[in-house]
Amino acid sequence: MIKLQNVEKVYRTSSIETLALNNINIDVKKGEFVSIMGPSGCGKSTLLNIIGLLDAPSKGQIEIDGSPVERYTDKHLAELRNRKLGFIFQSFHLINDLSVIDNVEIPLLYRNTSAKQRRELAQEALEKVGLSNRMKHFPKQLSGGQKQRVAIARAIVGKPEIILADEPTGNLDSAMGNEILGILQKLNGDGATIVMVTHDEAMAKKTDRLIRLFDGTQVS
Amino acid sequence: MLRHLFKLIWNKKGTHSLLIIEVWAAFMVLFGVLTLIVFNLRNYLQPIGFQYEQVWNLELSTNQDTTEIASKLQRAMQRVRSYPEVTAASRMSSNTPFSANQIGNSINYNKVDVGGDFYYTDSELAKVLDIPVKKGRWYAESDLVGKFIPIVINQVMEDKLFQNESGLNKVVKRDEKTSYKVVGIVDKFKAKGKFMSDNPGLFQMLEKNDRWNSNILIKTKPGTDANFEARLVKDIAMMLPGWGVEVGYLKDSRKNRENLTLVPVIIFLIVSGFLLTNVALGLFGVLNLNIAKRKGEIGLRRAMGATESGVTSQFLGEIWVLATFSLIIGLIFAVQFPLMNVFDLDKEIYIIAILAAVAVIYIIVTLCAWFPSKLAAAIHPAVALHEE
Repeated sequence: MIKLQNVEKVYRTSSIETLALNNINIDVKKGEFVSIMGPSGCGKSTLLNIIGLLDAPSKGQIEIDGSPVERYTDKHLAELRNRKLGFIFQSFHLINDLSVIDNVEIPLLYRNTSAKQRRELAQEALEKVGLSNRMKHFPKQLSGGQKQRVAIARAIVGKPEIILADEPTGNLDSAMGNEILGILQKLNGDGATIVMVTHDEAMAKKTDRLIRLFDGTQVS
Repeated sequence: MLRHLFKLIWNKKGTHSLLIIEVWAAFMVLFGVLTLIVFNLRNYLQPIGFQYEQVWNLELSTNQDTTEIASKLQRAMQRVRSYPEVTAASRMSSNTPFSANQIGNSINYNKVDVGGDFYYTDSELAKVLDIPVKKGRWYAESDLVGKFIPIVINQVMEDKLFQNESGLNKVVKRDEKTSYKVVGIVDKFKAKGKFMSDNPGLFQMLEKNDRWNSNILIKTKPGTDANFEARLVKDIAMMLPGWGVEVGYLKDSRKNRENLTLVPVIIFLIVSGFLLTNVALGLFGVLNLNIAKRKGEIGLRRAMGATESGVTSQFLGEIWVLATFSLIIGLIFAVQFPLMNVFDLDKEIYIIAILAAVAVIYIIVTLCAWFPSKLAAAIHPAVALHEE
């Protein structure tokens, strides 16, 4: 489903060259729940951005569903992100000026979906994360756990095959963290492929496979 | 997407209220200035209705002289007409073309009262100023023997006074003692120049022994120069000792008069130009700041499937929605002008000014939002998400 071959990422400034990722080879199968672990600054988020087509590798190849994406145009990449990928972030990235349901609808704005259909799909996604009673609320009126559930609803509203979660429990207490992981596991059980970056060893152990990074290099 | 943008701006209306007021104020000022410009431009595009290129205005002032004024004026007229350089000459009241003087009065027909400019002239004015007569004829001296004073009116006067009827040969009243007979109708007579609106006007035949109207319009042959002017002034001054004699060219008077109209328009334009520049700079600054504050959202939208051009369109769309809110408020005020017929201007002028002001506001906000929106689109999604 997701294949990275000899991926390397170098950040260059006029005076410094930083190797963020070095020779990464990952093959995530359909329906797998993979976690990526490593200390701060080891390149976990960079790797997730590359998998999520938000960043391009300096070297190497990425394949999504067997198709290499290097030559994809901005429009094609955006469409792939919209259709195939769902993102969950540590800091939720909710738009404070939009209600919960409007936040969840965002990915559908970039598709030809009618307003009615958008509303229905967003309601369905919010029901899945147990927030159907908070649809009209604004993010500021929600707890951290509720915000992350909104972010999950937003990630799954477009029914993507792959969910990329960047430390989804990082800002939550352990009980709330477990709740979020439970939702992700359920989504995985329903067929979604999940790649999760985490600091939490206990969380990582609950996934199918663990990839460890250290200083930009894959160590397991 | 449009609905989403409306929702986004509506939910942030508190934050955007000052910006909305700023755009509204800019719209109102622009509407005022454009109304002035459209009004003047429309007037400018209409012909003035007469020729002035070769016409001089000989202005005679009696000063302390009080004796035999009428006969002296008649003799002066005869003298002027006797020069071979003169094609035609006509006596006229002090409101000669392009002068600052104005004589106004009103006439009445079938209980309809119409005010307009009154010009007191003789039978030669149409010849001197090449005023084409549309219907009927210009009055002649023989008309003075009739029961009513002969007049020629312009088309607007005919339309307003007689509405669907023809005004020719109709008798109209100025007051209980004075009645006029319309002998001719001319098209336009914009005595104050191109920027003057086509107001109702009336030409009244001067009485033979009139002593009050002492301006003589002289149509000269092409090539007549200042030597003739000097000779003319000298001859007339000798003929009318103690009188003031002054010659002005109508083409020079026209320039002065039109400048008097243009100067306030230019001042308003400069003031509104400054205002619009301030609005534009303000908008530009606010949008730049907005984008810097919304990097996380930009990254998120890119992650959710927005293309670079999609981000540009979104920010442009937001500013258009914001401008639309301001314009809706502005339009509520602006439409009152044509609806309530403020300043008695043609409705079309206000409508054109409203449409032009709306277009200019959209152009300004688009120009101001374009660069920040492009900047927003160029932000790398991974960087934007990381910075949040």
